[in-house]
Amino acid sequence: MSLASWYQLIIFSWQSFWRNIWLSIVTITIIVLALVSINFLVVLNVITDTAVSLVQEKIDVSVYFKQTVTEPQVLEVKTYLASLAQVDDITYISQQTALQAFRERHQQNTAIIESLEALDQNPLGATLIIQAKSLDDYPEILSVLDNSKYNELILDKNFEDHAAYISKLKNISDTINRIGILTAAVFIFIATLIVFNTIRVAIYTHRQEIGIMKLVGAANWFIRSPFLFSGIWYGIVATVFAVAIMFPLLKVMQPPLNAFFLTADVSLAAYFRQHFWQIFGIEFLGIILLNAVSSFVAIRRYLKV
Amino acid sequence: MIIFKNITKLYPPNTTAVKGINLHIKPKEFVSIVGRSGTGKTTLVKLLIAEEKPTEGRIIVGGWDITGIRSNEIPILRRQIGVVFQDFKLLTKKTVFENIAFALQVCGAKRSRIQEIVPQVLKIVNLSGKENRYPLQLSGGEQQRVAIARSLVHRPKILIADEPTGNLDSFNTREIIDLLLKINEFGTTVLLVSHDREVVNYVNKRVIALGDGQIISDQKIGKYII
Repeated sequence: MSLASWYQLIIFSWQSFWRNIWLSIVTITIIVLALVSINFLVVLNVITDTAVSLVQEKIDVSVYFKQTVTEPQVLEVKTYLASLAQVDDITYISQQTALQAFRERHQQNTAIIESLEALDQNPLGATLIIQAKSLDDYPEILSVLDNSKYNELILDKNFEDHAAYISKLKNISDTINRIGILTAAVFIFIATLIVFNTIRVAIYTHRQEIGIMKLVGAANWFIRSPFLFSGIWYGIVATVFAVAIMFPLLKVMQPPLNAFFLTADVSLAAYFRQHFWQIFGIEFLGIILLNAVSSFVAIRRYLKV
Repeated sequence: MIIFKNITKLYPPNTTAVKGINLHIKPKEFVSIVGRSGTGKTTLVKLLIAEEKPTEGRIIVGGWDITGIRSNEIPILRRQIGVVFQDFKLLTKKTVFENIAFALQVCGAKRSRIQEIVPQVLKIVNLSGKENRYPLQLSGGEQQRVAIARSLVHRPKILIADEPTGNLDSFNTREIIDLLLKINEFGTTVLLVSHDREVVNYVNKRVIALGDGQIISDQKIGKYII
């Protein structure tokens, strides 16, 4: 195809876009809504991921050993656990340190302190505090421990309460994601229908020009392509608008987010800037592809050449 | 140049537009196709520009059998056949120059070629100086001349004029017919479809008369006899 043909193609598609400006505005608005809803899904993902990782940082499993278990035995268990791929970090708290911490925690309570004094030996066992690499790893680590030869050394483990919290958090996060995906899917579906209808109306509006084009021997692809290109214009303009809308919105959302997480470490705008091409590039390509398919179907159906 | 071999065109459910048409038009001929409304004149035009396909028979244009023409070949055929209609088919929002240039633009012509050809065809149809007017600022005859100019940009071997004077007064009618005769003199085969007795008699060339979808007369130098 010659350069002149490309030039004419772009000019004709732009004319088609511009001459049906109100229709184009409606189409772009719906595509922008679809893109913004997808971006909110991204925001929700960032928020839930942050929430999960913040909770995860605070979660650990404490393995309490029997009072009779010696320090070398505990350290052997520590070495064993450290060799597991799922384990991120292990802190050893000796019997002595545990006792000291217990005393400090209850120093106002004279009854407890006096009871401790009355005992000839340290009633507390050593503790190992385990942090896993991921939330899903905790049950596995505990299962390995339960089935090992060290199980009989262990007095108690305190993971169950946390498991309930994590499970609840994950459920909420999954539900939010599902709602987000559904909303985005609805908008994408509507956007596809609107693009289809817009191309149909554009074909109807240009029926006289199309008739003349056919009469004077314009190639079929040349008649069809401007409508296909119109879909690309919609994609370009809609993506630009989506970017222009998202960043101010992210700025507005930031202060309540900081207040919620009690930290200013999570920056939505920074996340969107870092992943700009992954987010908007993929959205742009997706919308172009969707418009192209929708336009192609409309052209096949309504543009007889 | 144009050969119709036993052409029949049926439209469902049971309309016969043309039946058993056998026709041979030589290069550089001027042929008037006459007949009352509904006798199949426009169907012949549609078959010739591959807007319709025949139910039976074969059509050969310039040695090319277009009976089973593929859709991607139709534009090539149409660049070799100029067509003008009664209703001009001009774009009212484009100027005279733009209307003519449009026929070249949609075929991917370069700007320099457009700038060269459009003034040439405007000169042939005697519209030089009116290139910046809009169709609605022109008389009917001038609009038809713009349409003829547009049909000439690809230097077609055949020019089909389907009732080109149907919307014109007698003065403009004469001008258009003279223009078609001039184009024919330059070597283009002209097919004039008309039901205007005066026009056909004025041309005084080969006349093919249609009735009920069939050829009822074919005179070398003919008159409108129906």
